[in-house]
Amino acid sequence: MIMIVLKLTKIITITKEIKIERRGHMKLELGKFNVKDVLFGEKTFFKDGVLTINKDEAISFIKEDEHITDVDIVIAKPGENTRIVPVKEAVEPRIRPDGRAVFPGVTGELAMAGEGRVHALKGCSVLGVGMHWGSFGDGLIDMGGEGAKYTLYSQLINICIVADTDEEKERHEQQKKNTAIRMASHKFAEYLGETVKELEPEEIDIYELDPVTKRDEKVDKLPSVVLVMQPQSQMEELGYNDLVYGWDMNKYVPSFMNPNEVLDGALISGSFMPSSSKWSTYDFQNFPTIRELYKEHGKSLNFLGVIMSNLNVSLEQKIRSSIFVAQMAKSLGADGAIVTEEGYGNPDADYILCLAALEDVGVKTVGISNECTGRDGASQPLVTLDVKANALVSTGNVSEIIKLPPADKVIGELESLARDGLSGGWPFDEFLGSSVKEDGSIIMENNGMFCGDMIAGWSTKTMKEF
Amino acid sequence: MKKAIHYINQFFAGIGGEEKADHKPEIREGLVGPAMALNEVLDAQVTHTVICGDNFMGSNTDEAVEMILGFLEDKEFDIFIAGPAFQAGRYGIACGTIAKAVKEKFGVPVLTSMHIENPGVEMFKKDMPIFKGGKSAAKLKDDVKAMADYANKILNGEKTLPAAEEGFYDRGIRAQVWLESGKTGAQRGVEMLIKKLAGEEFISELPIPEKDLVAIAPPIKDLSKSKIALITTGGIVPVANPDRIQSASATRWGRYDISKMDRLKAGEYKTIHAGFDPAAADADPNVVMPVDAMKEYLKEGKIGALHDYFYSTVGTGTTQAEAARMGKEIVVKLKEDNVDAVIMTST
Repeated sequence: MIMIVLKLTKIITITKEIKIERRGHMKLELGKFNVKDVLFGEKTFFKDGVLTINKDEAISFIKEDEHITDVDIVIAKPGENTRIVPVKEAVEPRIRPDGRAVFPGVTGELAMAGEGRVHALKGCSVLGVGMHWGSFGDGLIDMGGEGAKYTLYSQLINICIVADTDEEKERHEQQKKNTAIRMASHKFAEYLGETVKELEPEEIDIYELDPVTKRDEKVDKLPSVVLVMQPQSQMEELGYNDLVYGWDMNKYVPSFMNPNEVLDGALISGSFMPSSSKWSTYDFQNFPTIRELYKEHGKSLNFLGVIMSNLNVSLEQKIRSSIFVAQMAKSLGADGAIVTEEGYGNPDADYILCLAALEDVGVKTVGISNECTGRDGASQPLVTLDVKANALVSTGNVSEIIKLPPADKVIGELESLARDGLSGGWPFDEFLGSSVKEDGSIIMENNGMFCGDMIAGWSTKTMKEF
Repeated sequence: MKKAIHYINQFFAGIGGEEKADHKPEIREGLVGPAMALNEVLDAQVTHTVICGDNFMGSNTDEAVEMILGFLEDKEFDIFIAGPAFQAGRYGIACGTIAKAVKEKFGVPVLTSMHIENPGVEMFKKDMPIFKGGKSAAKLKDDVKAMADYANKILNGEKTLPAAEEGFYDRGIRAQVWLESGKTGAQRGVEMLIKKLAGEEFISELPIPEKDLVAIAPPIKDLSKSKIALITTGGIVPVANPDRIQSASATRWGRYDISKMDRLKAGEYKTIHAGFDPAAADADPNVVMPVDAMKEYLKEGKIGALHDYFYSTVGTGTTQAEAARMGKEIVVKLKEDNVDAVIMTST
């Protein structure tokens, strides 16, 4: 009883603070702590760029969720000859000094994200990895060698939660919600964030936008743009899709959001989309296209904000979402829009439809996505095409074949790539054999590289005619 | 040293011009005409030159291809290079035809070079690298060099660059490239948007082809007063195929008088289309080109008149560009003859 009262008091206090802040504008202070090394030790703390973790305590914390039946924590560093698979989720460790949850509606009570102070351990991520079992949307990361270039996560120190769960119902399903491991990643990221709760950040990045109708004349005169994000929401059954403030995005229509909310934990990744086309929670927290628009804000562009859409399956839902998006962009007075989709295949229909709908209402568009051009590179790149989509950035080809030599160390279970229906792997092929060879070398499609096409905006890849 | 075989036409072999265009295929050991220039810049020995008259290849394609593939059967070669064909249409189509056949039969890399206006570009650019060549033989040296530079990379197992950088027409084959600039997708996207908003030029990384849609014509008001024509892409022709329409990838069409008959008779008409089983169409050509049914309608007064000629070509493998050209040519004739509407049959 006392506990509950205390909790309520806390929420009320925070709400008051936020109200004061909200009179002005949305201002997010991202306090950065650069992590140069992560190791195990007696205590869990951060000092001089080194994050030390008491492994036993950390494992006990993760095991507080009774669905986690077995867990180990393994650290993987850039350049190591280490292969990680099946990777289900990546999260940047963070904490909010004022006590609000890092992922409102997921790791704690609902409160508005995107303003106030958040502290982040930069240069590292918490990975949710299956101890044995993989699923359709899971991916692979090589920390070193030629495989490292296929994913951003080879450049980060990865603190891997390698876990097994009691989710028996889906153990042998290709589609898994992976709820226990994914939730453990979010909670553990917050747990590690506690180490810098009271510390003074090395640097603070400020993200602030004045309300749309209350901007300087100078900014108002610049071409105004919105970012239209299409996070993954294709599964009709709840539990697989991306969440916004804890809400399943399949049961959602597009809304206007402040970009700071995206950078500050309002969205978390799901467990469905083939891996190379996915946005992990880490991607949302660091969304490069948002940060790039911020850079140009007040200089060459007036960044109005984010229209958060979704990617549902039926045509009616796709059209409905495109109507919402086009109307909002128009009503906000956007001159331009960047549209980006978390997916390929069926979601291409939403992507192209949305680009065309915006062009139809006079909003000039650019699209950012990958393509699926086939193993020979000769197939139609997107499922639907429209000449109105005349400015597209392409971040990679889902179906390119990748062969990689064996790694010295595997975190997780290598066989999962071939056995468990990962989108980039296969158990048998009459010409190529199994994805996993006896010597530990692999052959796979780019499709299964963890967030490999970096559609969030990291990708230095493009597609060219050969 | 690796080995190459070069294909040229009768003109560049020094045999003769138009009057020698029926020259039958031959193979000569060593270097003839442009093969000398090629041999100089290629990291392979050009061991043989294949020569064929452009008309012979155009009119007796199957025979010409079969003969040339026969010449090559006992030869060792690592690469096959045809042309350059410049703006010469028949030569370009010949280079494309033989290079494609050699690639399919022997699995070796094949290359050619043509000017953008050569119809061979549209017909074969998906099948092989066709280098962007000059209009005339004045560009021979440059065009040969461009092919050789790329061929040398293949022969030496070196990495090749995107089509635009190598200098050949897009084949519709796309692959991942890591940008040397290190520019991220986010940076490229925002940059593109700023340019687009400013009305400046920008380059889409995924160009979407323009669909060339033809508006549907308004309906015929009174069929009983209209003159109807029949057109097919099903390859129905008089058995001798007088217009030498190709069985696939057609560039030619013909028109045939039906004013004095009630139906097309088997044995007098047949299909030359290579894309379907011809048995039914040869047994009764009216199943593809329904002259019989139209003549019935004419008698019943359902249609006012049936045009004296039917028009025919072959649709299989025919490029959109060639189809559009042939269509435009046929429309001129139909208008001259005051045709009101067309029934178009395919297979």
